Amino acid sequence: MVGQYDENLLSDMLPLYYSKYFPVKIFCRWLSCGNSPYPLCNRELSFTLADDVYLRYISISDQKELQTQFQKKCPHKLDIGAVYFAKPSIARHDSVVLARELVFDIDLTDYDEVRTCCKEAKVCEKCWKFMVVACEIIDISLKADFGFQHVLWVFSGRRGIHCWISDYEARILDTPGRGAIADYLCLIMGGENQSKKVHLGNDNLHSSIRRALDVIDIYFEDILNEQEFIGSSDRLKAFLKLIPDDTLRNQVEKRLEKLPESSLERWKNFVAVYDSFSRENGYAMRKMKYLVEEIKIQYCYPRLDINVTKGFNHLLKSPFSIHPKTGKVSIVFKAQNAKNFKLDEVPTIHSLLDDSTAESVEHNNNMKSAVKHFQEFVFSLEKAEAMRRKTDASKNL
Amino acid sequence: MDFNIKRKSTKIVVTGSMVESYPHDLQMYKIPPIEHVTLQEFETLALERVTLLRSLATATTLKGLRAFSEEWKEYILSDLRNQGLKYYARLCEITRCGTTDADLQARRKDHIAHFILRLAYCRNEELRRWFIARELELFKMRFMTMSGEAIDVFFNLNNLSYTNISDEDKTSIITYLRESTPYQNIDNMKFYKVKFFDVLDLVKSRKVFLKDGFAYIPHKDFVSVLSAQFRKHLRQSLAVACQHLGEVEQDERLVCLLKGLHQSYSGNDYSNTKAMVPIESLDSLSIKSFPLCMRQLHEQLRLSHHLKHGGRLQYGLFLKGIGVTLEDSLRFWREEFTKIMDLEKFEKQYSYNVRYNYGKEGSKRNYSPFSCLRIINETVGPGDCHGCPYRHCDVNNLKNRLSGYGIDQQAVHEIIDITKKGHFQVACSKYFDIIHNLDIGLGINHPNQYFEESQKLSKGEIKVDVKREKVNVKIENVEDLEIDDFIE
Repeated sequence: MVGQYDENLLSDMLPLYYSKYFPVKIFCRWLSCGNSPYPLCNRELSFTLADDVYLRYISISDQKELQTQFQKKCPHKLDIGAVYFAKPSIARHDSVVLARELVFDIDLTDYDEVRTCCKEAKVCEKCWKFMVVACEIIDISLKADFGFQHVLWVFSGRRGIHCWISDYEARILDTPGRGAIADYLCLIMGGENQSKKVHLGNDNLHSSIRRALDVIDIYFEDILNEQEFIGSSDRLKAFLKLIPDDTLRNQVEKRLEKLPESSLERWKNFVAVYDSFSRENGYAMRKMKYLVEEIKIQYCYPRLDINVTKGFNHLLKSPFSIHPKTGKVSIVFKAQNAKNFKLDEVPTIHSLLDDSTAESVEHNNNMKSAVKHFQEFVFSLEKAEAMRRKTDASKNL
Repeated sequence: MDFNIKRKSTKIVVTGSMVESYPHDLQMYKIPPIEHVTLQEFETLALERVTLLRSLATATTLKGLRAFSEEWKEYILSDLRNQGLKYYARLCEITRCGTTDADLQARRKDHIAHFILRLAYCRNEELRRWFIARELELFKMRFMTMSGEAIDVFFNLNNLSYTNISDEDKTSIITYLRESTPYQNIDNMKFYKVKFFDVLDLVKSRKVFLKDGFAYIPHKDFVSVLSAQFRKHLRQSLAVACQHLGEVEQDERLVCLLKGLHQSYSGNDYSNTKAMVPIESLDSLSIKSFPLCMRQLHEQLRLSHHLKHGGRLQYGLFLKGIGVTLEDSLRFWREEFTKIMDLEKFEKQYSYNVRYNYGKEGSKRNYSPFSCLRIINETVGPGDCHGCPYRHCDVNNLKNRLSGYGIDQQAVHEIIDITKKGHFQVACSKYFDIIHNLDIGLGINHPNQYFEESQKLSKGEIKVDVKREKVNVKIENVEDLEIDDFIE
């Protein structure tokens, strides 16, 4: 449990974690595969040591060297960077970035505007549902729309999830390409000074948005009930700001104020008022043809940190690194299992190493299945890489 | 420009006839010109092309016209004619493949000038980005004015051939095509299958159906495929040009011209300022001399003692540009941030950022403060309050903010009206006038320029007649604002 975790013990526990639990071998195979055709040592790694000492431009040439580095430096956190034209430990930032997995970072702090159960670094089972929705929507879009096959999902260790796409096309994608995918997936725009952050226009809804809404609909009532988005007068006020038309807003306000503070009840009434309003006011509706959808999206659609995706050489926390603040392992999970993901079932360095803890057995098993899933991922990636090289070679003949 | 035009290069006749070299109005600029040009022509062509590109930029940002709209094109064409650039107007108005002497001469100039500007604009990332964006707009505008026949010739000349998808394939995805392609009459269009990264602009704006990594586009979206190729080719060429700069610049006659070209129009980039501004004066300066975007960030920082990354970058570089030293800057951010965090956390996580802005960390580049163009195009996400307030604020929010500053209702309405039309920089200029009690309609394209102009005024370096009566400051309105917010 998080309660028992003590950050000060980390330096004592990590050497054992790295030698016994961290899947060094398969990890190096994953990186090598992602480096192809450049050698493993061209990849930048970064270590965060005790007291936040930050070491960048570390490079390793094989599994053995990584193990030695782990034991010698004992990094509290491990990050992965890009593949450079030369060995980054020598060339540093003068070297050119050649490749990098396409990555996504989704963090619950970006939901602070909508989530009501927790704030900032806190996270609970209720707000985790946002991550489930995000994971399912992004995963299906990456696979169905962009045709990517090697999509790896990783728990960030505290309050979010990361996604690594290892397909060759994704790895060599340039910055504009990454930016375009990020923008394609990003529907929520605007800062502190804009209340309504989703604008779908009045044309047909794009197929990918329809599909995302289908996913949201599975979870929407659940989340609405738990988050109580419109359950108090303050929240109702914030909700009303999302309605652009004065007349409709007044109608909705009058109707909802009188109702008991159940968000679900209020939501249903809002939709009813909206429906009857739209039948009577064809002209005013042009501006808000998709208002219901827009609000659902503002509440539930994935909020990406798109700068992480756009930046070619942004560092991102490695799978199976320990989160220094929680002690949790950044485990790998399958997108279709996201909905069964339980925060307290995530192995921690403590529960893995200390077999007297209550969760020890369960967590050890969970760690094993996460590693197993990672292995399967790497195997299928290696297979695809081999195929690609073969076709490339025959093309060049 | 001190440029010695008496020394001429020797002229050599063009290889191949002009018709062979320039068969079409629209070019992909794959082959550099090999003829010799006089220094005088070199300079003229360069300046004329900069004027052309500037005209494109003005139409979009300063005039706030929607790119590629009729008004936008109209503005550019008339501007080109007014500037005496008839040959560019000719190339942009209707793109075709005629062979009159005027056609050929125009294409020759277009070709040479493009390559000269590559040398001027390959120097750094900021310049490259500006140049690529403008050249791309130009390319797209010209592509869109082409007749069907001219398009066919263009495709042939550039070896572009594509086959449309079969009717069965189309029928199987027709629902999705109708949903995701923003045109009427989808059923009668032929569709083509290209890789998604060939049409990034369509992907970005969700205007195309994607399946398994392929984009399905109708004929008229081929402009996206071509402009993507154009962009990619140009980006690579600029990188190559940059590597060869050393050779070109052995001729010192060219150095000044090429280096000064962009600045002759864009003005200072404000990365090296000589002024000194003490941080104690920032509160009063933010009211008198900051544009709204910076005033907003300053106030947010004072209020919440924190800014997110985008805000720190935008505001931090601006401060550097107006003359806050690195030491002062560190002290300024430290004093605010440590109100909500301990010193150690600040030093570890944020002081790097500040030093980075001053070119003391990371790649050690001396970063330039952001221009309006950059700020307007920033991505502003939840929790962010950077960007351009005229672009990134709800109307109500902006209205309240302006009224809160004591600006009278009529002036607030004027600003809001301009904002609603999408003329963000014009709105900013209006704000400048109101704050300074003037009516000069300055063209604002950089927050630091705003600041400098304001400082010049307050130091009396510029004398302008004050045209309005004193603005009535109505502070008592502030309390009513929150209620207003809901009635609106």
